[in-house]
Amino acid sequence: MHIDPLERKWVLVSLGMCALFVSIIMIDALFHGVNAPSNVETIDSRKIHLSEEFGEDNLGVQVAENGEITVRMVAGRYAFFPKEITIPAETKITFRWVSMDVLHGVHMPMTNMSTMIVPGYVSQVESSFPRPGEYPMLCNEYCGLGHDHMWSKVSVIDKEEWDASRAASKTVTSDTIDEEQNNE
Amino acid sequence: MNDSTAKNLALSHMWVAFSAFILACFMGEYQVLERSGLFDSLSSPSVYFASVSTHGVLMAFVLTTFFIMGFGYYTASHSLKVPVWNPKLAWFGFGLALTGVVMAAIPLLTGLASVLYTFYPPVQAHVAFYIGATLLVIGSWVWCAIMVVMFYQWKQANPGKTVPLAMFATTANAFLWLWTSTGVALEVLFQLIPWALGWMDTLDPGLARTLFAWTLHPIVYFWLIPAYTAFYVFVPKQAGAYLFSEEAARMAFIVLVVFSLPIGFHHLYMDPEQAKGWKLLHGLGTFIVTLPTLVTGFTVIASLEIAGRLRGGKGLFGWIGTLPWGNPMVLSVILSLLMLIFGGFGGIVNASYAMNAMIHNTAWVPGHFHLIFAGTTIIMYFAIAYYLWPVLVKKPLFSKSLALVQLWTWFIGMSIMTTPWHVLGLLGQPRRISSVQYNNLLTLSWEPYELLMILGGLVLLGSACLFFYLLIKTQFSASTEPFEGIVEYAEPLHEVKDLPEYLNDFKLWNKVIGVLMLISFGIPILQFFFMDTYGSSGWGY
Amino acid sequence: MKHLFLLTALIIPSFVSAKPASNMVWMPETLNFVENGNVQKGEQLAQSCASCHGEKGISAMGMFPSLAGQTANYTYKQLRDYADGKRDNPMMNSVAQGLSDQDSADLAAWFQSLPAAQNKASTQDVSKAELMVNQGNGKKILPPCFTCHGASGKGKRMDTPALAGQQSEYTVNTLMAYKKGTRHNDIYSRMRVIAKQLSDDEIKQLGELYQQMK
Repeated sequence: MHIDPLERKWVLVSLGMCALFVSIIMIDALFHGVNAPSNVETIDSRKIHLSEEFGEDNLGVQVAENGEITVRMVAGRYAFFPKEITIPAETKITFRWVSMDVLHGVHMPMTNMSTMIVPGYVSQVESSFPRPGEYPMLCNEYCGLGHDHMWSKVSVIDKEEWDASRAASKTVTSDTIDEEQNNE
Repeated sequence: MNDSTAKNLALSHMWVAFSAFILACFMGEYQVLERSGLFDSLSSPSVYFASVSTHGVLMAFVLTTFFIMGFGYYTASHSLKVPVWNPKLAWFGFGLALTGVVMAAIPLLTGLASVLYTFYPPVQAHVAFYIGATLLVIGSWVWCAIMVVMFYQWKQANPGKTVPLAMFATTANAFLWLWTSTGVALEVLFQLIPWALGWMDTLDPGLARTLFAWTLHPIVYFWLIPAYTAFYVFVPKQAGAYLFSEEAARMAFIVLVVFSLPIGFHHLYMDPEQAKGWKLLHGLGTFIVTLPTLVTGFTVIASLEIAGRLRGGKGLFGWIGTLPWGNPMVLSVILSLLMLIFGGFGGIVNASYAMNAMIHNTAWVPGHFHLIFAGTTIIMYFAIAYYLWPVLVKKPLFSKSLALVQLWTWFIGMSIMTTPWHVLGLLGQPRRISSVQYNNLLTLSWEPYELLMILGGLVLLGSACLFFYLLIKTQFSASTEPFEGIVEYAEPLHEVKDLPEYLNDFKLWNKVIGVLMLISFGIPILQFFFMDTYGSSGWGY
Repeated sequence: MKHLFLLTALIIPSFVSAKPASNMVWMPETLNFVENGNVQKGEQLAQSCASCHGEKGISAMGMFPSLAGQTANYTYKQLRDYADGKRDNPMMNSVAQGLSDQDSADLAAWFQSLPAAQNKASTQDVSKAELMVNQGNGKKILPPCFTCHGASGKGKRMDTPALAGQQSEYTVNTLMAYKKGTRHNDIYSRMRVIAKQLSDDEIKQLGELYQQMK
């Protein structure tokens, strides 16, 4: 079977280009942890308002004992709850998303905080935001006639500011407790 | 040979296709005007989303499927020099598909199926929409069966001979469509219809998305293969030379069919119901399927270079100028390849696994697929129509110069419309919004691009109207003298000797596809039956 | 003990147990159950509702809501929320506690079958309300009311209520209750979050606008 030598060369060049792209992606995926979202976890979307994790009082930004930050949000026509959150810059944030009704998508423009929110599943993504600022969080999957209006706000503040305000609130709390102890 | 059946089938199918097309073009311009927010009187999410749903269905399912079937019937009959097998069945398939279209069109146009052309549950449309879509697909399976039968009948009658390239490509496409449509057929038959009828209370949206993703990527190759067929069998002849390599063409079609199927998860990169290992595997496959396009580009450009040099072109690039730019088929391929460069680049960005997060579900996505599909692919559908119409209606093309104007304006309009569309995506604009409502400074950066898109859309609408006008004038102008158009297939530069059977048949490749599909989709689909999943009832919009 | 409680409450927030706004879960069994409510039985039971809610479910007094034409899911949910205390009203709490699930479904079916109130056009300015209903407010992240309540205010799946023809005073009272938080059976505070952003004037106009809607 005849294949022109020039075309053969082109096939090799094409294979080379593809191999280059694939290698970069594989190396990043296997060694630098740069991956698409991967947490496959089911949840009954009809009952989330009754659940511990996604009950109304448990939503928003939470800092665990070891300092890890988790943001739990509920998507439902036509808002992301809670509608405004504040998180620190340059810190790994784990987002956990559920839907109370239909398919939604959420993206903070020009960041990699992007995920589909499928009823019946918990979406978990990790992001960190190098630059402080006011970011919108926009719904990007058709979810009904109000889709255009579905968005929320994220304030990303300086890491120093965040650490300072958390230390302050801890001091206030322990002051209050000391005071109470003294008053008893 | 009396091929009036093939001609009638081709004409009927193509009229349905292009009528759907022109209607959808008007909707498209309405949409870009509405979305800009400049015309308060137009503002209406309910009209907008009904329009987008209808526009998407007409362009992605009706224009394409009917054109491909019409082109296929004519090509099968003409290239094999046999009559269409079982014309009654062919007309039955046409009727079934058309019935499906009408059945789906009614809820679409009355706002009862504003679920977009992807119809992801649990937003629920009127059941007639899903049933109509099913009938359209089943009608197309009739076409697939006829293509496959004609292919094998010819091989039996011509043992040891190579199947003409045009029919090889058409049959490849028929097999591709059978494999491709299975995903959405499973979703519609086992989930959407019973759920919309109330026989099933809930369905799993994660499974629905996975089944649709099975179809969503290879369907674009189903649309693309007729364009590549024209690249290989018509263009070199129209340019005045030869096909650089028929073997490379056959290999390209095969790799295209085989590797377009097991890669649908690049549409699900940001989804929670599949894990990263599968996403990475599908991503790898997606890069493999760029190869046949790269090879096609080489083969077609090499064929054009030979033609240009035969016409006196000298120097490294001189052959480009000496090509017959006044031939609609040649002009179309040049413009198509230009759009393929940028559309293909966008596709590689989309395929790039984690990087997809930057553009997923942003305006970049419709920008990309309008450029690559409405641009690269559809301009070749125009070229094929201009080439075939005179043959089908026995009258000369009404005006070659207007055809050239139409093709140029389509390219210019598409470039003006899709370039800002891509930029809007990079600037974070979500897709599928009917207006801009976010109270954030970011949206101010979007406005100039919206304006450009209106302009691009207007140029496209004008071009679409001109195309439709040319078809009508060609077919219905009074003819002064008898006219016989001919369809000529390109000859290969090197005579094809000792072609291996695997480049002349599909038995091996169907087996390979089966194995690859099992690997790529087996566990990802089975997982839903072993996990604790929770269903969703139907929601309105 | 008091400071221990404070410590827990302030420093370790995630251990507070979820207090859902409503216990209603729209499982398919529940949806089917409500859909199969018995209209005739509902009509009988509704006789004792007429004194406040009107003969044909159309109330004659501004502070009592019309129930005619209300979506069955919504009526059912309100009755169950009254029964388990998620929605507070001394009258309705005791009424609802006397109703079984089946009774609630039957009543919901009956009221849904009745034609909604048709009221005269308002003479007051409703321009602000029209903007809210049709366009929402981008600045305040408020979607237009019609996207959940329907273009003609007839409500939507799963449980967004019909508002068309409703007593203006009742609508205003409801929105004010959401605004103040005294009504809180909307999951994730989705109506409270909206009502808090509405001005009193907008609320008054919304009452008028929906009362006249047909």
